[in-house]
Amino acid sequence: MALVGPNGSGKTTFLKLLNALLIPTHGQVLVKGISTAVESTLPEVRRVCGMIFQNPDNQLVATTVEEDIAFGLENLALPPEEIRNRVFKTAALLGLEKLLSQPPHLLSGGEKQRVAIAGVLVMEPECILMDEPTAMLDPAGRRDVLNTVRELNRNRNIAVIHVTHFPEEAAGTDRVVILNEGKLAADGASAEVMTDLQFLHGLGLQGTTAVELAALLRQDSFPLPPQILYNRELVDSLCSLGQNS
Amino acid sequence: MFIGTEQLTHTYMPGTPFATKALHDISFNFKQGDFALIIGPSGSGKSTLIQHLNGLLKPTSGQVVFEGKNIGSDKQELLRLRKRIGLVFQMPEEQFFSETVFDEVAFAPRNQGFDENEVENKVIEALEKTGLDPNELRMRHPFQLSAGQKRLVAIAAVLSLNPEVLILDEPTVALDTAYRKNLFDLLTGLNHKEKLTIIISTHHLDEAAALADRVLVLKQGELAMFGPAVEVFGRREELYSLGLALPPVTEIMHGLAEKGMPVSTSVYTLQEARREINKVKRRDRS
Repeated sequence: MALVGPNGSGKTTFLKLLNALLIPTHGQVLVKGISTAVESTLPEVRRVCGMIFQNPDNQLVATTVEEDIAFGLENLALPPEEIRNRVFKTAALLGLEKLLSQPPHLLSGGEKQRVAIAGVLVMEPECILMDEPTAMLDPAGRRDVLNTVRELNRNRNIAVIHVTHFPEEAAGTDRVVILNEGKLAADGASAEVMTDLQFLHGLGLQGTTAVELAALLRQDSFPLPPQILYNRELVDSLCSLGQNS
Repeated sequence: MFIGTEQLTHTYMPGTPFATKALHDISFNFKQGDFALIIGPSGSGKSTLIQHLNGLLKPTSGQVVFEGKNIGSDKQELLRLRKRIGLVFQMPEEQFFSETVFDEVAFAPRNQGFDENEVENKVIEALEKTGLDPNELRMRHPFQLSAGQKRLVAIAAVLSLNPEVLILDEPTVALDTAYRKNLFDLLTGLNHKEKLTIIISTHHLDEAAALADRVLVLKQGELAMFGPAVEVFGRREELYSLGLALPPVTEIMHGLAEKGMPVSTSVYTLQEARREINKVKRRDRS
């Protein structure tokens, strides 16, 4: 699921409520049926919901990448062998094998973020909360992280709530929730929410480049289908128009 | 040469087991008035390069050149240099330390020894340049501002010294679409009206590609490409192999071209794409 909205709309606050970094003033947040307001069950809430922050510098704590990824596991008092195995497996998944002995502060922003993601993944959470995890990554790093997260979602049934300002990233999820000034503005299938350009523009948001360009071309009376969301769909539609005429 | 480097090499922690060669043999120059982009994969040395351009980091070997002169290590000279070459860090608002917006922006002019009247003028002028209302915001705490406003205050803090070159490291990180557009409009204005030379590093080419005069591409600390934007963005396969991407709108044009539509692929904005596709359509009909 993508969580979208202008700066200051409450996205980060919402994520923090989900893993009990914040407690509701009114109402309640339930994680697998457990209220986040009950202190005795907080460890379980936080095991279920792992959080990845926008800026990886705020969540790297150890002197080497390996120790950093292992940090959460060490708190569970697992045997050293098991910790090593899980750390190596997770590092390999995110392409961090070669960096394990490096001090995190020497890594680039993108590498740091992947270490932060590894530190959460290694705990095998059931839900990953991500606050703009790709904001500082290069295009390849972005793709890597998104593919990894998508794979975890599909094959290991981990729920993902992904805060993003990139329309392309929101369009790639199953469901999009939009917040505006602290209120729920939309909640629906991404193919529907992300193609409603009038609505998105009204909130100061944008559609994917394909949605935006398709809308301009429709103004120029190109008969394009309404559900165009991705580049490939726009290219195919435009080319088939050419052939028909 | 206006601003650039000659055979610049930088090694972090030289002579230790952690020695890391961050930049190797980089030579390039940007012209006065350029809107220049520095792109490259994570860890390719963009931030390291940027910090050389106003003397925050010193080359392990080679030179950084400004207006034909090498940037030396004389402290007074570096102070003067940093007045003329302003640097906005990544996520600059995380380094705010003042109680008010005014004090935040006033820090550099006060540091340079201007009297309070001049400081006041400079602060107001800098805030106005970024489109912020000085009367409304001057006494506010910087942390009370919105994300986009904070970013603008950080830029105003650098503009307060009237630099001739403005360097921004990943200026749009974590900004929403509206603020991003606002920021690029601001940079375009500074570049066109105030004749500032703008140098930015970014992973996000959606807006930046259309504005760029010159593009420098880094790959693992080495110069992979350097040249006019159209030339660099024309080397699509090479950019891909570096893990970089073109703006989505350019990708759409490539997609169309590959399917046989005779469209230009040197297109970086929605309106250009719209014109180009309409042109082909009219040709089809006639």
